[in-house]
Amino acid sequence: MFTSLKAGEKGKIVDISHVGNLVKRRLLDLGITEGSEICVKCVMPFGGPIMIESCGQCVGIRRKEAVQIEVERI
Amino acid sequence: MEIALIGNPNTGKTSLFNNLTGSYEYVGNWSGVTVEKKVGVFKNNIGRLIDLPGVYTLNPLSRDEGVVTSFFLNDSVDRLLNILDASQLERNLHLTMQLLEFEKPLLIGLNMIDVASQRGIMIDAKKLSEKLGVPVVPVVARSGKGCDQLVDTISTKSFTPVKKNLVNYGVEVEKAIADLSQELAGKTEHSKRFLAIQYFEGNEYVKNYVTQIVDGEKLQAISAKLEESIKKSYEVKTLPNFIYMKRKAAIETIIAETTSRRDGVVPLSEKIDSIVTNKYLGMPIFLLLMYLMFMLTFDWLGTPMSDALDGLLTGPVASGIENALTAVHASAFIHALIIEGLVAGVGGVLVFVPQIFILFFFISLLEDSGYMARVALVMDRIMESVGLNGKAFIPMMIGFGCNVPGIMAARTIETPRERLLTILLTPLMSCSARLPVYALFVGAFFAAHKAFIVLSLYVLGIVVALILAKLFSSTMLKSQTSLFVIELPPYRLPQFQSLWRSTWDKGKGFVRKAGTFIFAGSVFIWILSYAGPGGLKVEMDDSFLAAIGGVIAPILAPIGFGTWQAAASLITGFLAKEAIISTMNIIYFVPSDSSLQGLLANYYTPLAAYSFMVFILLYIPCLATTATIYKETGSKKWTAFAIGYALVIAYVLSLIIYQGGKLFGLV
Ligand SMILES: Nc1nc2c(ncn2[C@@H]2O[C@H](COP(=O)(O)OP(=O)(O)OP(=O)(O)O)[C@@H](O)[C@H]2O)c(=O)[nH]1
Ligand SMILES: [Mg+2]
Repeated sequence: MFTSLKAGEKGKIVDISHVGNLVKRRLLDLGITEGSEICVKCVMPFGGPIMIESCGQCVGIRRKEAVQIEVERI
Repeated sequence: MEIALIGNPNTGKTSLFNNLTGSYEYVGNWSGVTVEKKVGVFKNNIGRLIDLPGVYTLNPLSRDEGVVTSFFLNDSVDRLLNILDASQLERNLHLTMQLLEFEKPLLIGLNMIDVASQRGIMIDAKKLSEKLGVPVVPVVARSGKGCDQLVDTISTKSFTPVKKNLVNYGVEVEKAIADLSQELAGKTEHSKRFLAIQYFEGNEYVKNYVTQIVDGEKLQAISAKLEESIKKSYEVKTLPNFIYMKRKAAIETIIAETTSRRDGVVPLSEKIDSIVTNKYLGMPIFLLLMYLMFMLTFDWLGTPMSDALDGLLTGPVASGIENALTAVHASAFIHALIIEGLVAGVGGVLVFVPQIFILFFFISLLEDSGYMARVALVMDRIMESVGLNGKAFIPMMIGFGCNVPGIMAARTIETPRERLLTILLTPLMSCSARLPVYALFVGAFFAAHKAFIVLSLYVLGIVVALILAKLFSSTMLKSQTSLFVIELPPYRLPQFQSLWRSTWDKGKGFVRKAGTFIFAGSVFIWILSYAGPGGLKVEMDDSFLAAIGGVIAPILAPIGFGTWQAAASLITGFLAKEAIISTMNIIYFVPSDSSLQGLLANYYTPLAAYSFMVFILLYIPCLATTATIYKETGSKKWTAFAIGYALVIAYVLSLIIYQGGKLFGLV
């Protein structure tokens, strides 16, 4: 689970299929899909969105989608 | 010759468009600045250039992306200029691959090479051009470097792609493409391969297009069969995903052969981000910045400048005009029309130009720096709780300048429900045209707490919008789907020149409106106040204007300003919010030294003045905004609703403030 990563930690996406279709499509547009390396940049308070970085590109996504993305720490 | 600019969002398409055509379209550092098609003419007249919204793929999710796909299918473009962000080459090439499948002449502008080289990414443009089979010209759209060569290439070279089928999608897909192409043969002018692949990827626009010309069920069968065989033989979940992976593989080979990397410097962006999107500091920093912006606009910088301008206009300028009129022996009517109508009406609005420009300067700074998308991120949690998403905050921030582009900006919001909600609520954001009203009234009644009172109005607008969002989204606009994925662009140091241009571009509208709309309106209002049922040159209280205002005045009495003067200015305020000020200047015309501000104290109590400002903040979207709401929603019902709810909420809130204030002994 995404939330196992803390700000500043890196991981690799292993499964993204549980995320809603629209969000998955948008992430794919940004080049984020299974196999992408990501780094959690920061986490907003009160269950707010998180900011991740992949290939030099920063993206903000909601916490509830982030927890559905499965990552393995690297 | 017509050339269409196409590329990922925020890659510098509009910057290049401005550079090549010498026009000035809206540029900003976030994704989704351009939301509609814009046409310009090349500086050297070789043809027309078309700027389009940015897209990641030709398979659209949001309304602004749909603009591009329909443009592709319905307008006959003959040439494409694909802009790539060199620092994000891989992602950008996905679109390029689709464009190449479209088989129209294509030229690539490799933009942001300055950013790429800073990050240590070197791209061999010549090799890339060989690999893709189309010309590639490196440019820096921001500074104009390489633009000459680009124009040169456009006007001299033919750029029909020399390579076909750059991506091989594997036997199964290729076979299905052939089958589908056969169905389409002779029935369309577009590339059949392109249509087939887009169809398999689930592109709704293409689906609509092809089912209009051939039997949809047959196509559906081909696609379903393909998906099944793909799933069986490969380890993939969906057909679109399979196509994506094939494309990605092809792109990776191209990149490996054309780019080299060395260690770049750690982007400044990351350091700034660790502060402004900090877990705890993010929100306070945003509020602090807003506060600074207000103090500068309304207190520290703006007010002294406006006062100086006011002194100039009511002093030397007015007396100069007066002398000139006397010198040419103008009739008393003309004299009064010009001095009491035009100078008072138009001058009363122009006085606020400095403050408006300062506000626009900050909005431009916000747009150009890259902070805008961060604000959306920081605000998302709050917006989510009222049934919106953080992206809706961008239209609202733009709405602080002018509601019209704010409403247009809502096109980038993907889900129709959230987009509609944003369109309906953006008019509650206090636009710059409302600013003169506040400036006038705080100057007259709250001189000691100017910025604070004005800030309270802006905040009130946001709070009301959030409460209504919650109300609407839990009653009539119910739906679960919400989408929030936002690209956070790297910070860019705004260039002074482009900042100034975008400030000027926005402020120009205000000045122009004063010279046209407000000018004509002032003449009209003055005549209404000069003539009455009893003839010309009547006492103002017996004029037509008083009669019209008098009809509405009783309704306004409970909220503290039941005078015909207030009513009349509110009516003109529907046309443009600045008209409120020019109407007041005409109605309360004071020939000599004493100012309008001093005079107002006879007509309003401070409490009534605050109630009046709240009413102005909320009561109705102006004419231009109403027209935009209608254009964007395409619905008379929603447009009427936007006007109706605003009137109700304004009245109710002013009533609470005025009557409640009186209860607590405020005056
Ligand atoms: N450093 C650098 N910045 C650039 C360059 N070209 C554009 N920019 C900046 O990139 C940002 C985006 O530029 P736009 O022209 O609005 O991009 P766009 O592609 O039209 O964006 P959308 O309309 O949102 O799709 C602006 O802040 C520009 O100043 C470049 O070559 N180098
Ligand atoms: Mg643009």
